[in-house]
Amino acid sequence: MNIVETSGLGKRYGSMWALRDCSLAIPAGHVAALVGPNGAGKTTLLNLAVGLAEPTAGAITVLGGLAAGSPAALDGIAFVAQDTPVYRNLSAADMLHLTRNLNRRFDQPYAKARLGELGIPLNRKAGKLSGGQRAQLALTVALARRPRLLVLDEPVAMLDPVARHDFMASVMTAMAAEGVSVALSSHVLADLERMADYLILLSRGRVQMAGEVAGLLASHRLLTGPPPRPTDTPNGRWCMPSAARRRPTCWPAPPRTTRSRPAGRRTRSTWRNS
Amino acid sequence: MYSGQHLRVSDAEREAVTDRLAEHFAAGRLDQAEFDDRVERAMSAKTRADLSGLFAGLPGTGAPAAPELPRDGGSAPGSPIEFRLDAASGVPTYLQLVHQVEHALRLGYLKPGDQLPKVRDVVASLAINPNTVLKAYKELEVKGLTAGRPGQGTFVQATLGHVALPELAGLHKALLGWLGAADGAGLDEDGIVALFTSALRDFYERRGGTGDRRGAASGETEGVA
Repeated sequence: MNIVETSGLGKRYGSMWALRDCSLAIPAGHVAALVGPNGAGKTTLLNLAVGLAEPTAGAITVLGGLAAGSPAALDGIAFVAQDTPVYRNLSAADMLHLTRNLNRRFDQPYAKARLGELGIPLNRKAGKLSGGQRAQLALTVALARRPRLLVLDEPVAMLDPVARHDFMASVMTAMAAEGVSVALSSHVLADLERMADYLILLSRGRVQMAGEVAGLLASHRLLTGPPPRPTDTPNGRWCMPSAARRRPTCWPAPPRTTRSRPAGRRTRSTWRNS
Repeated sequence: MYSGQHLRVSDAEREAVTDRLAEHFAAGRLDQAEFDDRVERAMSAKTRADLSGLFAGLPGTGAPAAPELPRDGGSAPGSPIEFRLDAASGVPTYLQLVHQVEHALRLGYLKPGDQLPKVRDVVASLAINPNTVLKAYKELEVKGLTAGRPGQGTFVQATLGHVALPELAGLHKALLGWLGAADGAGLDEDGIVALFTSALRDFYERRGGTGDRRGAASGETEGVA
């Protein structure tokens, strides 16, 4: 079963495409990580998956064929948005009460037990909790809905390393105990290295690479070398001599920029299929 | 309590200290580099004061121990071992787990019938993907070292060490003595590893390859310590 499947998916804000030509199939039972620079389209893709945004082009289904944003899909998905938002004026107990009444399924005993374990006082207002506790509260509310897919948008960006460890340990435990699939975006690559086993690399609104981490690592190499000089570019293409093949590998040269390069040797590194 | 801190230490005391360090290492409270470093300091200690700092941060010793962190729950009540990760080693996470189990088997800290930590507990303490732990346990199962019992967990089935614990401890001590001599002769760590590796190769070549080579494939670098 594919937990998220897209074909030709695109989202345009005004005249700018935040996401284009995105075709993916993320299998269930993985921690799928969305990686890419700011503005690459990570949040857009996650918002499309949970139904917070409507696609401009293409289609997206979740949980094995349900339309994203449909009531059936929403029942099976929990979403923790960027900066783990909670209602600051509500106490933790009120947050649980509210969520229970807004959802068809909510495991109140689980939520209370989890907050107890974490030492989060039920009567304290969410705004008075520490950043780490607030994130854990948002996660508890999400997990108590017993989702099949947990979507996290930059969940640990604001947390210190200890809180980050605890937060991700909670997510991983939920995955081990209840078989929740996870899709998350993050900039903390060190954490992703240990947790993610499915990787989606986005850049400027396009999917550059997607697949299981083990397979990607086996089929890609990091090359480091001096930048090819203009004399090396017949027909406007950059070429690198290849040890494995007789012919050099060539690709289209990027457009010339008017800025002058800083003096000294620069290295260029690139991902490339081996 | 600084009385006697200036007294010179005997070889027996140095050995007692290294034995205790070895226990901590086996229990996973020290990693390879920390263990090597502390043993080296113990072997080169001249006074009691030199020995006093060696148990910093370790529980259950005379030295001030760091409080146990509540999230330090890597070992289930049923399992004698606890996993640790070295993020800087470059070794894939699942292989680190496999190596640690093999290491514990080889040194006799895990015996047939012992239970490996439950996947949930490993995941909760290390914050890693459960699939990684499952992959490591699968690998151990394929190697015939462990077997999964449905609903109960993963249990050790075979052993890698054929040497009894007291004998191992004696060999450990002898090796430490040799390391002290090598250090005294001016060999650094890389030199010691190079010398040991070449001697190991010579030894097995001379025996005509009849020795048990199982250990040499995956664990020879760990086996040094």
